Amino acid sequence: MVTQKKKATASAASGLRRFYIVLGLVAVVGALALAYALLRGGAGGAAIEPVELAGVDDPRALYARAQGVVIGPETAPVKLVVFSDFMCPYCGQFASQIKPRLQEAFVDGGRLQIVYYDFPLGGTHRHSFLAARAARCAGDQGKFWEYHDLLFGRQSEWSPEASPPVDDFIEYAGVVGVERGAFERCLKSDRYADTVTANRLLGEQLGVNATPWVIVNNRYVRNALDYGDLKQVIEQELGA
Amino acid sequence: MSVGANVLTGALRPEPREASLPRNRMAIAVLALVGAFISSYLLLHKLGLIGALACGTGSCETVQASPWAVFLGVPVPAWGIVGYGALFGTALVGLQPSHIESRRVAWALLGLAVAAFAFSLYLTALEAFVIHAWCRWCIVSALLTSSIFALSLAELPRVRRA
Repeated sequence: MVTQKKKATASAASGLRRFYIVLGLVAVVGALALAYALLRGGAGGAAIEPVELAGVDDPRALYARAQGVVIGPETAPVKLVVFSDFMCPYCGQFASQIKPRLQEAFVDGGRLQIVYYDFPLGGTHRHSFLAARAARCAGDQGKFWEYHDLLFGRQSEWSPEASPPVDDFIEYAGVVGVERGAFERCLKSDRYADTVTANRLLGEQLGVNATPWVIVNNRYVRNALDYGDLKQVIEQELGA
Repeated sequence: MSVGANVLTGALRPEPREASLPRNRMAIAVLALVGAFISSYLLLHKLGLIGALACGTGSCETVQASPWAVFLGVPVPAWGIVGYGALFGTALVGLQPSHIESRRVAWALLGLAVAAFAFSLYLTALEAFVIHAWCRWCIVSALLTSSIFALSLAELPRVRRA
């Protein structure tokens, strides 16, 4: 009987020992995982995906919530709206080859206003939401378009990264002359997550299913990457 | 009861074995510790101290950025740390030799587990019907609280027998 009790006590002690070993292992693994996450930094709390927006079921409310970035005068007779994704190569083509020509031919003369809306596609374009927010953060310091151009110009550099390219985006801020501290605080938050989400939702409402999606005075331009076609549509609208 | 009866019941009692260890409490302690780490991870994210959540195909950011990620002015993961911490501490107390058969510990565990389970149900319902997005860490947490609830229920018969 005494032997049985001793056996049971020894067995219980051994069971408890095993339990504490397992508990210790869980604690070590958990602490290491948290330490790794802290050291890695990553997006540093930056919102990298669309957020839940309340009260935007009504299209008018959604339109009010969405915010395009404008270049050119409000008085311009023609308005070109573009929905774009910073990870989309064709959007890069539009930004680097079409927009400068439009600007020179029409915007500078006050005949065209370009309104840029974000349409982060998501999926494999996993950094496009963060990029859209980054451009908006640069816009806080009046450098949206400079940052926009740089993001597209260096698309092949940051797009393939596995984790959110926060450090790249902060570096780019320095390149375009944006004060990095304020930019970083903006980027590593959820600032503009609602605006970018609203822009994306607005695009969905309008039927955007590819980027760049270009509308000239309510006319959808199928081949916006052909400057000739686009110019023709704008000139028609100017002549109307 | 006579000494003879005690001897008799003692003789008939099954041989004490390792199975008499409060395994449910051990499991609760381990699961609660895992839950506390998950909550800490989500809280660090909420505080902007770590990068994007490792979320795979889930919508962790959507859930975490939603207005329902804060409960009574406190981020939900902070509630998780408190809840899992309380479960962990109570389970460890219940593993001390003087408390192994304690009914109070068993009821305390059950009370905490019911609260955690109910809160998880509420959060899961929000994900399903209000936010329309799923955070895989929240699902893991819901599974943990469900398991802890089941284990704490299973504790009651053990302490009643004691």
